[in-house]
Amino acid sequence: MKIFWAFARQAFHNSAVYRFEFWLRLFSIYLLMYCIYWVWKTLYTQTPGAFGVSLEQMVTYGILGMALEIFLDVGPEWYIATQVRTGAIDTDLMKPLDFHVHMLARSTGEMMFSLGILAFPSFAIGHYLFGLSLPGDVLHGLTFAVSLILSFFVFFHIGFLLGTLTVITLDIRSIAWAYYSLVAFFSGQIVPLWLFPEVLRKISSFLPFQAVYYIPISIYIKTLSGSAALKALGLQAFWAVALVFFARWAWDRVHTRLTVQGG
Amino acid sequence: MSAMALYFRLIRVAIQARMQYRADFLTGIIGVIVMNVTTVTLIGILVTRFSHLNGWSLWEVVFLYCLWLLGHSLFSLFFWHVRALEDYLVEGTFDQFLIRPASPFILFLGREVQYLGVADAIFGISGLSLAYSNLDLHWNATKWLFFGAAIIAGTLIESTLSLMIACISFWTGRSRRANNLMMQINTMVQYYPMDIFGYVFRVIVTGFIPVAFMNYYPALMLLDKLDRVGSLWWLAYMSPVVAFLLVGITSVVWRLALRRYSSSGG
Repeated sequence: MKIFWAFARQAFHNSAVYRFEFWLRLFSIYLLMYCIYWVWKTLYTQTPGAFGVSLEQMVTYGILGMALEIFLDVGPEWYIATQVRTGAIDTDLMKPLDFHVHMLARSTGEMMFSLGILAFPSFAIGHYLFGLSLPGDVLHGLTFAVSLILSFFVFFHIGFLLGTLTVITLDIRSIAWAYYSLVAFFSGQIVPLWLFPEVLRKISSFLPFQAVYYIPISIYIKTLSGSAALKALGLQAFWAVALVFFARWAWDRVHTRLTVQGG
Repeated sequence: MSAMALYFRLIRVAIQARMQYRADFLTGIIGVIVMNVTTVTLIGILVTRFSHLNGWSLWEVVFLYCLWLLGHSLFSLFFWHVRALEDYLVEGTFDQFLIRPASPFILFLGREVQYLGVADAIFGISGLSLAYSNLDLHWNATKWLFFGAAIIAGTLIESTLSLMIACISFWTGRSRRANNLMMQINTMVQYYPMDIFGYVFRVIVTGFIPVAFMNYYPALMLLDKLDRVGSLWWLAYMSPVVAFLLVGITSVVWRLALRRYSSSGG
């Protein structure tokens, strides 16, 4: 556990180097929020009541969908892809830590860095400029926090699996765009799943992506509450555990292949 | 050899170099098509769910997106690598352009092609054809001519803006982040009809980062929606003029940047 935090701290420091980037990222967050705010506001003014929720909830959903990406999307796949392409992956494998745990530590560090410096200003922008609602009470906030941790876990492992794929394909750049747009689509990041046509909603309910954005945000805006929220948390936990096993299994298989190639 | 002939020869070489990786070509093309399909489906879900988006019907929104995509596809094919100018500078590749007996600008532009633009073009043409028949359009020769001009103007607008921002790296060494930000603003204008946004944003994408001239304004003319902007109807015809102005400004910026580079290179 001590080593885990050592690696997490290292990743935190690496991200802290770029100060100028902070302002660019903040501005970019502002733009994304601005965009989604106007989309929902326009649609709501046009047909009030068609969402099944209030404008405030809808705007909150849209803004969170944009804001959470900064913390959740730490992209372990890009790190793995670069290491595989340059061959530096062997130094990673020599480290005194299991590769999967090492990657998790790295990503956790990066996530906490983004959370530490960007969470407060982003929420301030969201709340004061676009009317992002705040959590109702402590219990509600805690449920959301738990859901968010599970969501990070699920998202990390999906990225890790994609990274594992690069050991075979050697490059993910050509599939990355399709992958990211499919994740954004089926996770309900931009358009909540309840607005989907029946068929697409069915498909998305069988995929792990809903655990990334749809569930935590729905808990936040209280369209999932009480027992439904608990059930959703259970589903997230299921996907988190299933993906840990799947990711470890996949990495073990590919890992031996990597050693054979290197020999 | 004239500049144009040199450029086309360079492009031919770049295409041959690209063609060595066929598997990558195919996965890339499929990937970009999947991306476009999901994007349009998302907007499509919204528009059909609410029957229209600020007065733009489903096929009109598809038309907007695909009109942008066609201009973008040419940018993506031939000029995508201007965004990577900072790498050329850092890695010293740019010095090669300066010591050869030809215009560094032509050498730079002809350096690479980005095959993924082909996928954008395929999607854009299919989307526009579907929109054309679904909207029951019957264009006369003037509209077809303007349509062609709008696409070329779109390519030029995106290319010159990208190049100008990339030129920042002659001074600061870094420009990719700034270019990504421009791309993000651009994305907002392509995905949604720009008139849903606030006044300040509309002024910015019209007058300062004029990406609205890639699809929104020409679409007003092509879809007979000039009344949406009232007394500013003439903006709908301005895309070629905007593109022309940007080319002029960019050539000045490029010359300044180059002078700056050779003086610091020592």
